[in-house]
Formats: sequence, C-alpha cells, structure tokens
Amino acid sequence: MTEPPPAPRLRILHALPAGPLMALPAVLALLLFVALPFATAVALSFTDLRMGSPLATEFVGAQQYQRAFEDDSFRRALANNLWFAAVVVPLQTLLALGLALALNRSFRGRAAFRTLFFLPVVFPMALIAVVWQLIYAPGPNGILNALLATVSFGAIEPLDVLRHPQLALPALMLLSIWQGVGFQMVVLLAGLQAIPASLYEAAAVDRAGKVSQLFHVTLPQLRNPLVFTMLVTTILSFRVYDQVAIATRGGPLDATTTVMFETVRTVFDRQQVGLASAMSVVFFLMVLAVTLVQRALVRQEREID
Amino acid sequence: MDPPDPPGRVESFDPEANPGQDGPVMTRTHSHATTALLAILLGCTASCGRDEGPQHTDDGALILRAWAHSGQEEERRILEAQIERFNQQNEDLHVDLTLIPEGAYNGQVQAAALAGELPDLLEFDGPFVYNYAWQGQLRPIRDLLQPGTFDNLIPSIVDQGTYAGRFWTVGTFDSGLCLYASRSQLEAINARIPTHPSAAWTVDEFDAILLQLAQAAESGHALDLKLNYRGEWYCYAFSPALYSAGGGLVAEPEHDTAAGVLDGPESIGAMRWFQRWIYEHGLVDRNVDDAAFTEGRVAISWTGHWEYENYLQALGDDLVLIPLPDFGHGTRSGQGSWSWGITAACPQPGAAARFLDFLLEDRQVLEMTGANGAVPATRSAIEQSEPYAEGGGRHLFALQLTEGHVVPRPRTPAYPVITSAFEQAFLAIADGGDVESTLQTAAATISRDIEDNDGYPAPADERHGEDD
Repeated sequence: MTEPPPAPRLRILHALPAGPLMALPAVLALLLFVALPFATAVALSFTDLRMGSPLATEFVGAQQYQRAFEDDSFRRALANNLWFAAVVVPLQTLLALGLALALNRSFRGRAAFRTLFFLPVVFPMALIAVVWQLIYAPGPNGILNALLATVSFGAIEPLDVLRHPQLALPALMLLSIWQGVGFQMVVLLAGLQAIPASLYEAAAVDRAGKVSQLFHVTLPQLRNPLVFTMLVTTILSFRVYDQVAIATRGGPLDATTTVMFETVRTVFDRQQVGLASAMSVVFFLMVLAVTLVQRALVRQEREID
Repeated sequence: MDPPDPPGRVESFDPEANPGQDGPVMTRTHSHATTALLAILLGCTASCGRDEGPQHTDDGALILRAWAHSGQEEERRILEAQIERFNQQNEDLHVDLTLIPEGAYNGQVQAAALAGELPDLLEFDGPFVYNYAWQGQLRPIRDLLQPGTFDNLIPSIVDQGTYAGRFWTVGTFDSGLCLYASRSQLEAINARIPTHPSAAWTVDEFDAILLQLAQAAESGHALDLKLNYRGEWYCYAFSPALYSAGGGLVAEPEHDTAAGVLDGPESIGAMRWFQRWIYEHGLVDRNVDDAAFTEGRVAISWTGHWEYENYLQALGDDLVLIPLPDFGHGTRSGQGSWSWGITAACPQPGAAARFLDFLLEDRQVLEMTGANGAVPATRSAIEQSEPYAEGGGRHLFALQLTEGHVVPRPRTPAYPVITSAFEQAFLAIADGGDVESTLQTAAATISRDIEDNDGYPAPADERHGEDD
C-alpha cells in the first residue's frame, strides 16, 4: 500500500500523537477548573486567609486542620455525611431497581407512571426542600401529621419531624431519595431494555423461574448501570447541602449538619477561607476514600465472574 | 410600609428589608465570597486602586458615581427621582446612579473594593459597614456634612455610623422591633398594656402573660418569634435581649473578646428565657407559613416595623404595639439599616457630601420612608411623619430610637462572625441545647476570630487627615 505523501504543513501534526492531542482541551479544562482550584484549596488550608482582610495572610501549618477536628459541629457533620450515604445509597438503588423492574413490564399507562416517577428529578432541590418543609410542617395541620393521625385513628401525636433529634436526618434522607430515585430508575430502565430477550428465553428453556431469572440474568446484565448509579448516588449523597440549608439549617443540635453546610457557613458567613479550605480538603479525602473502597469492591466482583 | 415578601425574594442581611423565609442569606454572601475570591486569585489587591482624577460631563458638571441596592420598586423609583432632582438643582454636579441587585450587593462591592473600582458614593448594609471602614475603603464624613445635617440625625443613626471614634456612614432611615399584640386577647387575661418603652413589661410579667395566653389559646401557642426568618434576624432581634439583661455579644467598647460577655451570667439568663418559651413550654409557634399572627394562632408577635401595615390589615383596631420585654436593664430594640458612605478613593469628597446633605433633607427622607415604611433618620422628618410623629401608629419605633432604648450592632469588623455564631447558638438553644456550653462555644468562636485578626486594629488616622 502506498500512501500519498502528506502535505508539508500537516507534517508537524502527524509527528504528534493524535490521542493526547485530542485529549488536550479536556485535560486543560480539568486542570484549570478542577485541579487548580483544589491545589489552591490545599495551599490555602495551611494559611489563615480571611476574606477582605487588610491584614497579611500568614502560613499557620496544620492549625486549621486541628481547629476543624476540634469543632464539634464539623465532627458531627462528618458522621452525618457517612451515615447519610450509608443509608441513602443502598436504599435508593434498591428502590430504583424495584421501580425499574415494575415499570419495565407492559401495562396501560406505563409511560405516565414513568414520567411521574421521573418528575421530581426535574425540580431543583431547593424547591423540593421547601415543598417537603410544608409536608413535614409541625402541628396537627402539617400534611404528614394529618396523614399519620388519620391512618392511626389519632393515636400518633403530631410530630415536629425536622426538629426531632432522631427523625430529622431520616426525614432529609427520605426527601432526598424521593427526589433522586427517578434518575437511577431511568438509567436502570435503559439497562433493562438492553438485555436481549433471548437470554430470558434460554433461561426459561432451562426451567429457570422468575426469581432465578432475576438473579442469574437480569442482575448480572445490569452490573454496569448498577455500578454507575451507585457511584453517582454516593457522590451526590456526600454533596448534600440544599435540603440542609433550607429545611433544617443543620439543626436540631447539629443532627442534620453536613460537611458542605459547615464549609459554606465558615467561608461565606464567617469569611474564614483558611479554615473552610481545610474542611474541604478533609471532605475530599473522605469522598476519595469511599470511592476507592467502592471501586475495589466492584472490581473484585468482576474478577469472580 | 414594606409589602410582605414575595416568596423567594433574597433576604437582606438587614432586617429593615424584611427578611423572608425563602431567602437564605447564604445566597448573597455566597456570591460576595466568590467574586472576592476570584479577585484574590487574579492577584488584585486593594492597592491596585483607580487613580483617574475627577471626571466631568459634557456640560462640565462633576460626575459622582453612586452605587445603591435595588430594593423594592417603590424605593428605587423614589431614589431615581431624587437623584434627578439633585442633578437639576446642582448644575455643577451630576450623580450617576448604578443599581445593584440586593442579592448580590455585598459581593459586587467587595469585588470592586478588591479591584479598586469603588464609586464615589456607596450604599451598604448595616452589618458590613465596619468591615469597609476597617479595610480603609471609606472616609470619615462628620466634617464633610453640613453641621445642621449632622445635628438633625437621630442618635441611633449617629451610633450606627460611628466606628473607631469616627463617623463613617449615614442612613436616611432606621429600623426597630416591638411586640405586636392583640389588644382583646390581652384584655381577656387582664394584662397591663404598656405603650411607652419606660413602662415595658418585665420579663417575669411577660412570661406570666405568655403562659396565660397559651392556656387560653386553641393552638396552645402564644408567641411568634419569626423563627421562619434566617440569618441576620436572630442577632438583630434577640441579641438586644442580652443587652437588656446586662449582658451582650462582645466586650464594649474594646470589642476584644466575647468571653465573659456572651457566655456571662446575664446573657445566659436571658437565653434561658428563650429556651423556656420555645423548647420547654412550647409557647412559640414555628410559623412555617409566616402567618402565625395574622391568622390569629398567637396573640403576640415579636418582630420589626416592616410588619406594621400587614398586621394592621389583619387585626385592624385590635392591633397594639408594645415595647419588647425588659430583661432587667430596660427594654432594648435592635436598630440599623442601609446607609451611605463616601469612599476613600473619591477625589471630591466635599461634593459627594453635598449629595448626602440633600438626601437627608426632610422632603427626601419623608419620601423615602413613605415608600419603604422605615423610621425617618432625622428628628425634623420624624416630627413631620404622620405614622412616626407623636400620636402616629408607629410612634413607638421613633420613641425607642430617639430615647435610647436601642442597641446598635457591635461596631466591629468581626460582626459577620458574631451574627453567624449567635444564630447558630440561638437555634441550638431553641432546640434544647445546654445554654451555658452553647454560649461558651459561640463566645470562643468569636473571640478566636478577633484574635486571628489581631483584635481588628482600627484603621490608621493619617489616611483621613482631613477629619477630626
């Protein structure tokens, strides 16, 4: 095979590897918008930078980290974040799987139901938090309280859910799941539809029942969408902020505070950039650790197969 | 009078502007910080200031650039009309107004300050005044104003504008708090109805009244504390109670620590009352819908002058205005609102001050307070203001401000930290947190910030040699 000689002006381009060249814009954007701000945060976390202060910024070593960990609210926020993710990720994924399986059957009004379950995803979290605040409203006239009173024939006393030390965080989990589940459902639904019908037919020939088909055909085929949705949910559940800022403001007694909430308060209300940077670095490391563990687990499963 | 907030309006850091439950104060400070950070990242500091000289219009009038917050439509219209009038009256001056949305106001101003792009005249929110002065962005204006203008100011406006011994900023209106109550419900339990600050209910009296009212009420609640508000509201509305009890937020006048003050026995005592009313006895309506008082669920609402019109509409003749309870050292209300300053970069401060003199003329003050319902900032305007003059429906607010029954916000650049720490503490105490240790934590947060900033040293004198 003889190729025509490349035009001289293109020779330089040919000499460069095409892959890195094409990746360059994306890499540059990543460096500029992700790596650089993060490096800045790491650098700032070792200083006492205050916003708008005419005083000189000084290097303070690990002092900001020490302060962050001495702060009860911040420690509680870390614990809340972990607890939130530990509950929401499996629950939301299971629920999404259930919904996807149910809505993958053919029945009248299927499209309407799919739309209905996906609807909350379209709304901004801020709006949803406000609406759920009304649902959780204290007193007998709150929607949830009225419902509980009706179904229990008045046996359940009206609760102030969002100010209840034990119920406030679960209440936020519930509204977060309600908002987020539609997205995973759609991803899983797409995954379900990509499973060839021939696999089910073959399984049926092998006399596999519905349950057996679920565990030996559907779930293995759904691995990739499942891994994807779990990763996304994990990251989103660590980022929880809007519902906290709007519905509970971290209360009661820090029961619902999160690392994001504490960080935003520190930098934007109190102008303490150094301390807030230290908090976000700790937060980053925590999310990184969880994600690495998750990846390791998923990889293991793959090897077993 | 301010109309009730449309939902979703971004709350001002300033209580005058009618805090609403859907407007997290976060939104504004957020953009404030983002722009400021951006400016830092771009390597621009306060030193890269603008050094152009005075600018003139084509007809030779000196241009004064002014920035103001774009508040309610009515307020905005009045300010624009007033500027037009000023420009017509003063052929040698031309005020060029830029309106900045309230939600992003401090962010824009801080970013402009870092970039050295501040205008000649600047309006700002009460809590941030001392930050600007501390940063060296402002110049003292006491000697720039006409003596008559300064002497006509009500004392609360003088207090608000004074920082580190000098006078930096002047507002054309002020704010205030009171207890709005249903007269008939108070009469039903034979409660005394004080209308003058010197006759305020003692806190024990108030407590007994609340218990009786709650017992009589179908809802079981007696009091609205606007717990649906957020951000600055808590410090503005409830820290005066600490001062009334003999405590406070930070050591006065040094502002060098909060230890022993915010967590001192007097402040602890005052906060215990709030815990008792909110947490222990459940006397306070959570007010999720902002309608606890107007719907008659509670007989008393502890809030600001901006609710007057709204409440009057709901209760009519039954509405009565009562001073806040006396926690031991006399009733104390919050105060403070938007105010004007002249920037250090302004090449012709004397000319800029003429504009402030103009804004503080009776006609202008009365027009503005007629539009936004706030308390006029001058004695002569109060006398001519129908709602605030003696016999007017809102006279109580004027009385409180002119007779010293108010506490200014602590005049220190640490205020943003103070208000944030106090809000956090108040909410924790309202949820049953231990009063003493919660206040100790808040005091430590504030004291540490003051230490971190070397005690917020006062701005150097020589920069503003023309004053004092």
